[in-house]
Amino acid sequence: MPYVSLRDLPRSDPGRPDLRTPTRFLVWIGRMQLPALTLGVTWGVLWMGAAALIPGALGAGVQAIADGNETAVLRWSLVVLGLGVFQAGAGLLRHRAAVTNWISAASRVQQLIVRQAARLGGDLPRQVATGEVVAATANDVERIGSAFDVLARFAGAIVAFFGVAAILLTINAPLGTVVLVGVPVLSLSISPLVRPLERRERDQRVKLGLATELAADTVAGLRVLRGIGGEDLFLERYRLASAEVRLAAVRTAQVRSLLDALQVFLPGIFVVTVTWFGARLAIDGRLSIGALVAFYGYTAFMVLPLRTVTETAHKWTAARVAAQRVLSVLRLERTYAEDPESADHPEPEVGGLVDVRSGLAVTPGQLTAVVTDDPLTADTMADRLGRYSDGEVKLSGTRLSDLPIDVVRRRVLVQDKDPVILSGSASDLFEIPRTGRVGVLQALSWASANDVVEALPEGLATDLPERGRSLSGGQRQRLALARSLVADPDVLVLDEPTSAVDTHTEARIGLGLRQAREGRTTVVFTTSPLLLEHADIVAFVQSGTVVATGSHRDLMRSTPAYRATVVRGVG
Amino acid sequence: MKPPESFDMTSPAQAALLPVSEPPAVRRHVRQLLRRHARLFGWLIALNSVAAVASVVGPQVLGGVVQRLQDGDTSSTFANRAALVFLAALLVQTVFTRFARLRGAVLGETILADLRESFLRRVVVLPPGVVERAGTGDLVTRTTTDVDRLSWAVRMAVPEITIAMGTAVFVLGALVLTAPALALSWLVAIPPIIVVMRWYFRRAPQAYRREMAGYARVNAEVAEAVDAGRTLEAYRLGPARVARTDATIKRWISWERYTMYLRTVFFPSVEIAYVMPLAAVLAMGGFLYTQGQVNLAQVTAAVLYTQMLIEPVDTMLMWYDELQVGQASLARLLGVNEVPDPDTDDHEPADAEIVARQVRFGYRDGRDVLHGVDMDVEPGERIAIVGPSGAGKSTLGRLLAGLHRPRSGSIEMGGVELGRLPTETVRRHVALVTQEHHVFVGTVRDNLLLAQPAATDTDLWSALAAVDATDWVSTLPAGLDSRVGTGGGRLSPAQAQQLALARLVLADPHTLVLDEATSLLDPRAARHLEQSLGAVLDGRTVIAIAHRLMTAHDAQRVIVVEDGRIAEAGSHDELVAAGGAYAALWRSWRDEG
Repeated sequence: MPYVSLRDLPRSDPGRPDLRTPTRFLVWIGRMQLPALTLGVTWGVLWMGAAALIPGALGAGVQAIADGNETAVLRWSLVVLGLGVFQAGAGLLRHRAAVTNWISAASRVQQLIVRQAARLGGDLPRQVATGEVVAATANDVERIGSAFDVLARFAGAIVAFFGVAAILLTINAPLGTVVLVGVPVLSLSISPLVRPLERRERDQRVKLGLATELAADTVAGLRVLRGIGGEDLFLERYRLASAEVRLAAVRTAQVRSLLDALQVFLPGIFVVTVTWFGARLAIDGRLSIGALVAFYGYTAFMVLPLRTVTETAHKWTAARVAAQRVLSVLRLERTYAEDPESADHPEPEVGGLVDVRSGLAVTPGQLTAVVTDDPLTADTMADRLGRYSDGEVKLSGTRLSDLPIDVVRRRVLVQDKDPVILSGSASDLFEIPRTGRVGVLQALSWASANDVVEALPEGLATDLPERGRSLSGGQRQRLALARSLVADPDVLVLDEPTSAVDTHTEARIGLGLRQAREGRTTVVFTTSPLLLEHADIVAFVQSGTVVATGSHRDLMRSTPAYRATVVRGVG
Repeated sequence: MKPPESFDMTSPAQAALLPVSEPPAVRRHVRQLLRRHARLFGWLIALNSVAAVASVVGPQVLGGVVQRLQDGDTSSTFANRAALVFLAALLVQTVFTRFARLRGAVLGETILADLRESFLRRVVVLPPGVVERAGTGDLVTRTTTDVDRLSWAVRMAVPEITIAMGTAVFVLGALVLTAPALALSWLVAIPPIIVVMRWYFRRAPQAYRREMAGYARVNAEVAEAVDAGRTLEAYRLGPARVARTDATIKRWISWERYTMYLRTVFFPSVEIAYVMPLAAVLAMGGFLYTQGQVNLAQVTAAVLYTQMLIEPVDTMLMWYDELQVGQASLARLLGVNEVPDPDTDDHEPADAEIVARQVRFGYRDGRDVLHGVDMDVEPGERIAIVGPSGAGKSTLGRLLAGLHRPRSGSIEMGGVELGRLPTETVRRHVALVTQEHHVFVGTVRDNLLLAQPAATDTDLWSALAAVDATDWVSTLPAGLDSRVGTGGGRLSPAQAQQLALARLVLADPHTLVLDEATSLLDPRAARHLEQSLGAVLDGRTVIAIAHRLMTAHDAQRVIVVEDGRIAEAGSHDELVAAGGAYAALWRSWRDEG
């Protein structure tokens, strides 16, 4: 496996992950970037190794001064300088490798998630809340990345700890033992404080989250508040939440400041002990001055590797939890079964669409309108026609469930009730697989969306925000319709495409739709007379079944229930 | 290495709408804060100073021990005494560190709470016209991201940097007092640190913000892929979305590479700069020692001080950037104070009659949306405004609700210029409900009470009945006490609109402007709601902007707006009889054509 540098990321294919357990998933990620990990570990060891040697060199330097050996003093100063320069270089390479590992792991997980989203399409938001996936990408990706970042330092820490241990034991066995046993024991002795600190920090985070949410919510609804009142009510709510945050933060600070103080005291008490014990050894002539200075330095140094070990343990625990959440997204499958043999099925000819359950039969090349007595029926029928849910629907006599899903999506386009305007420029909206027969400007004019584009500051080049939030509901609907017309599928199914459009425009759209889909198969679910009068044929659905078909005018005359549904309440 | 192509972080149009404080104003504010809490700050400095002084005892003690050893002192009392002094200093340092940190946190949290609360206090009284123009996006970012960043800076960066600064001063002082000649060795480190610092901090803050923006962009795209899953699937955009996200990841990584390059220059430079004085102290100490100018105690202490000094200097450099980020956020929070308050005229309107004369208005200079509108609204009248999209209906509605002032011409209510009235006065008389709805986090009751804090449950239920919402509210798990809004029970857009209208019923102003206020309801439900609402609003003036002709049909007067002008006006029957554009539309709609 070759080394992959940042320049070559992201990869074209993130690979097939091991989804069995969180640990296996993390191990799989590690295996995929083994060369970069090895590099990081190597530099981590060299880096911390150099750092570990500096107190020794300083001690030797002081000894040389004490001995009045000028050449040795100079030599040891150069050794300190050399170690420092080497440490800086190795530290940098270690850092670069660690960042590469972080990004390598993080971007791989991001790629896996977006590929999963692309594979499942509408089936993903149906199975998990968008917020959950967002949390998975924003926080969990970062946590998984950090677990690989820390590995290089972890390896260095282990080597440094045992290396220093060996040095200390060689210089003086009893003193060495005191440091080796004492430092870890004292480091662990702060652990009773860690848990309450984490608990209080969690509590503080939760309260901060609530206060922020409250403030953001107040600001988001500011138009309502300014229009109707209630500012004081909301300010008071926020003031209480903010006071809670302050109290929680002070409670955290009580423990944290204790921990900060202990982190001064515990290593300090060791330095005191070592100085005292070392001085007594030196008096007896069993320890040189230089060694005493070195011991003083090592005792302070040992805190660093131990802290790294604790940090690693924390990060890997967090990464496992994060991996679990990522897996819950990556493990999802489609909610409806796909026939494995469907790939071999011959593609059906251009033809009509039949929904067996409702009895709706769509004649090829015609504009069919469907009026349902209940809006929900329209949604479920549209879903069925596009095989977004199971149901017996035939395209030119072939059951949709016998066809590969790609073929169904290519042949039948269902524009649902809430089509999303994707972020990007307005012209990006039309960058979709299409037949090429319908131009963008043509489609915009058929959908009466010319003025929407004209009103944008830079026309089609204007960047639209997520979900086209800067546009009104009617403007969004018209752009979405234009997009569907550009796609120009064999069968186009539209669910309430003009519900938010004003009457003037709706009338124009009815005409445009008719021209745009001339000779193509179109199904439109609507109750608007302005669209219905342009349909070749209208099917009226009551309680999920087609009860009457005919032209809009015929049905208006012949079917009172139809008339009541379409112009309910006019007279 | 050149910085990569940039992510546009905020749209320039939005950035220009709400002010950001200039650095002098921010500094002035910080000075005010310092003055207001002068006593607490004084205590903090004192506590930290004692802790820092105690921390410089250790090397002095070890130096003394080394000196005694060198002098051949073999009595063990000096070792014991040294250890006791060291221990005492350590205890002092520990205790003072604890209280310095705790006091610091308490003060920091007080200041933070004060800042965020006064920010929101200012935001909720912003003129509605400003909010309307600027949109809430920028304000929400300030409320969330900027408050978070500032908190982080005040909680971490400010104490870390100030404590490090104090420690550095005392350690350096100790070094100078111990061996002034050896302290000079730090001079070799200062010029390279300054040079590389200037280079780094000129590039780093912006680069890191870009990098974060890139990371956020990747997340936003993944989120959109999930949210718009159905749309991506229907238009077969899956592969395109994967390619696009991969490209965004690549752009993000290009910023990661750039910041890594910055660190590649910065890290080794400063680290080598740190170790240079260490080697220099050792070499110079050896030389001066042989010259008899310093003793071994001084050399040892000087070496240890030099090593001790590295940590605070490094801390200052590492946190410097966060401090700058915090300062930028503070500037954005203070910026809302600089939104000018409009000049107002607080006369109570005499009655509910609205008179609009030759109203011209546009959101951008030179691009008027309304071109001379004349209109009279009698108290209690029901008016429908119809017309094609973009004709200026909503704009007219906003002006009639007092949200904006006409560029020329006038709109008066009861003889008083509507746009000059303070918001709090306007809303007792007129309220606007648009299709943009908002469900506040809280209970259904919270969402209603804001309109009428004194309302009883009976009032609330009858308001809900007026908007056909009794059924679904009573089936909620806890009725009026059910939690709704983000994180609570999800309401449908139609239900949210019903809540908005129920608020209006409770607020009960004499004039209501409804801009597509029922557009998110099913057409049939909307019609029913309008009728039951109509019964409750008997006697109130209702101006309804609608795209459904049924609304117009029910109104006493219909105003057809086209291209920013009133094209036709009259009752439904009059307009149908007149045979104009409205009549044509009505006929095709009623299928009588």
